[in-house]
Amino acid sequence: MKLKKLAALILALAMVLSLAACGGSSSSSSTTTGDSSTTTASADGSYSVTELTVNIWDNNQLAGLQQIADEWTETSGVAVNINVVDWDNYWTLLEAGASGGDMPDVFWMHSNTSQMYMENDLLLNLDDYIAADDAIDLDNYYEGIVALYNSDGVQYAVPKDHDTIALLYNKAIFDEYGIDYPTDDWSWDDVYEAAAAITEAGAADGVYGFAMNTSNNQDGWYNLVQGYGGEVITEDHSDTTIDSDEAKAGMEMMRQILTVSVDQTTVAETGTDSLFMSGKVAMITQGSWMVYSFYTAENSADYYWVEIPYCDANGNGECDDGERVSSYNGLGWAAAYSVADPQAAYDLISWFCAYEQQVEQAELGVTMAGYIGADEAFSEAFGDMDVSAFLKVEEDGTLYFRPYTRNTTVWEDALQQTGCFLDAWLDPSDPDLMSQACDNAGTIIRNAIAEE
Amino acid sequence: MKEKKGMTKAEKNTAMWAYLFVAPTMIGLIVLNFYPIFNTIYQAFCKTGDFGKGNTFVGFANFQSLIVGNNSSEFWQSLLNTVKYAIIEVPFSIVIALVLAVFLNRKKMHGVTVYRTIFFLPMVCAPAAVAMVWKWLYNQQFGLINNLFGTSIAWISNPSIAWISVGIIGVWSIIGYNMVLFISGLQEIPGDYYEAAEIDGATGIRQFFSITIPLLSPTTFFIVQTRIIGALTVFDLMFMVMDKTNQALPKVQSVVYVFYTYAFTNGNKGMGAAVVCLLLIFILIITLILQSCEKKFVFYN
Repeated sequence: MKLKKLAALILALAMVLSLAACGGSSSSSSTTTGDSSTTTASADGSYSVTELTVNIWDNNQLAGLQQIADEWTETSGVAVNINVVDWDNYWTLLEAGASGGDMPDVFWMHSNTSQMYMENDLLLNLDDYIAADDAIDLDNYYEGIVALYNSDGVQYAVPKDHDTIALLYNKAIFDEYGIDYPTDDWSWDDVYEAAAAITEAGAADGVYGFAMNTSNNQDGWYNLVQGYGGEVITEDHSDTTIDSDEAKAGMEMMRQILTVSVDQTTVAETGTDSLFMSGKVAMITQGSWMVYSFYTAENSADYYWVEIPYCDANGNGECDDGERVSSYNGLGWAAAYSVADPQAAYDLISWFCAYEQQVEQAELGVTMAGYIGADEAFSEAFGDMDVSAFLKVEEDGTLYFRPYTRNTTVWEDALQQTGCFLDAWLDPSDPDLMSQACDNAGTIIRNAIAEE
Repeated sequence: MKEKKGMTKAEKNTAMWAYLFVAPTMIGLIVLNFYPIFNTIYQAFCKTGDFGKGNTFVGFANFQSLIVGNNSSEFWQSLLNTVKYAIIEVPFSIVIALVLAVFLNRKKMHGVTVYRTIFFLPMVCAPAAVAMVWKWLYNQQFGLINNLFGTSIAWISNPSIAWISVGIIGVWSIIGYNMVLFISGLQEIPGDYYEAAEIDGATGIRQFFSITIPLLSPTTFFIVQTRIIGALTVFDLMFMVMDKTNQALPKVQSVVYVFYTYAFTNGNKGMGAAVVCLLLIFILIITLILQSCEKKFVFYN
């Protein structure tokens, strides 16, 4: 009898304890890990952990990055476990992890949110590690990306890559309707004329000349705003000129192209990339991070890349200085402030960002490099598909950094929806709607910045 | 003089055991339910800082913004959307499920279990997967529905019909669950009533309305109540089916969707908390009304 009682007591206690442990573990880890960053591993390469978890959001890059990481595992003995979480959920998950003290060890940072993470000390301060590391010299990386991940003089991430924008066209559609192929010398006006011709000729087959969604900002309409002389976010990140006459001229060009493009209800249901790959659209603009999915598509032999069209702002029919613009952005490799073995996490970051691995990353066609001059191999990475347009724009054109503020998502999402550009996208035939949308955008961005 | 009303040793012992055995549940409830509820209510009165740090108390500012201020049109529209969704989902899923349950409760029919399984299947699938499949069925250009009927209807992009399309998915996915509850309710009804009715010459339809429906009312009431709450907290359907740049989204997004946008997309936890607090109050009112109706409409033997 006594034994039974005892057994019952032990069982009940075990249950209580295990439950309490469940609830408490997250909070206890967040309090203790704060000072664990001072315990560094010995410098001879033996680490206190056997595995690092890495979070990324692009499935296309997984295979290449895992290959590079596995090479590091061979020398370091630390396994690298890369998880892919899609873009939308990546940030939800990371923020929840940051609030609860349970972040992945190493992960990607992006211009949309980096400022918030850096200001709240959620990322590992890399300064001392970079100073002690021969492989990393921040002067070798794209300046804008280095600056992006620097807050109050502290470096929180090392540039992983950079990206530019190019125009993608489907040769088969141009052949079918007898239209001249796009070239590196096209302006947006040329795009409009070709798109108009294809949309008219292809009406019976449901084929369109061009497609752009309001969500295509970095790879789409931002470039027109900037090319015509507007600024989505001013250089000091405190204001916008999206409601200026220059920006409105850019969006007016956009509006004209939209009148001969796939309508908004369609692109909201089927992405512009899917429409292109199913042969319904002749031209779209895309970022260099998307090349892999077009390269592996069914009809990739028909797909050709040319430089992003220029904005003929002065109307002289020539590409003048500053008229061909492409946004660029770069991800950074960052580590969590609470990582168990900061040296191991940093060494992995250093491995990813060192010259040889940056070249390898380009060679494997993962992305272009964050290291300046390391991505020549990128244009060769896709066999017969010529992707040199992404590299040429860096010489022929002007790059501007992807617009960001402290909490970019707030206004970026609002710009895409009704009450802003979506209204103009739904009825592109009305120039007033687009002009009104630009005014609304100015208000939305200024209010959002004021709230930050 | 104070009267001592202490417990005997045996009573104390019993009480201790009782506490010990409810402890796992209680701790779970406190840690996972009560603490979050009160923390959410607290945050609704705060301008929350990033990553849960540095909350500043702002009183009713969040609520004011939602009810009459900057965010009011979005909030009230989403509440209206949610109610519209509930108006489709609750009655249709209950009526269809009841009819199916009556048919599938007949023991003479062949393959009853097969049919029951088929109707219950949507319940077993992950809601996100269900929504993805429907998203493609509804697709304007390439969707099966439009191809089958040779139409070109923007099922989920046309603001005036998108809410119905989403409601249909909701009805489809919940029918099986309601049906199983109804079947269990039907099996509680003694067969004598039907025999007596048959002897008196009542038709099947008369039996249904005079015996089945009244005697099934406790089950029906339970389903109505849980489904209304379920429908008012709908989120996954809208989230999975509709793209952010879908023009119909403002006319379809539910209250919980708006909460998600504020709290997680925009990182404004305080505003998000205020949204769910208002939703909680709304659901409480509805439930109170339902409870007061219980005596009128429900017959317990």
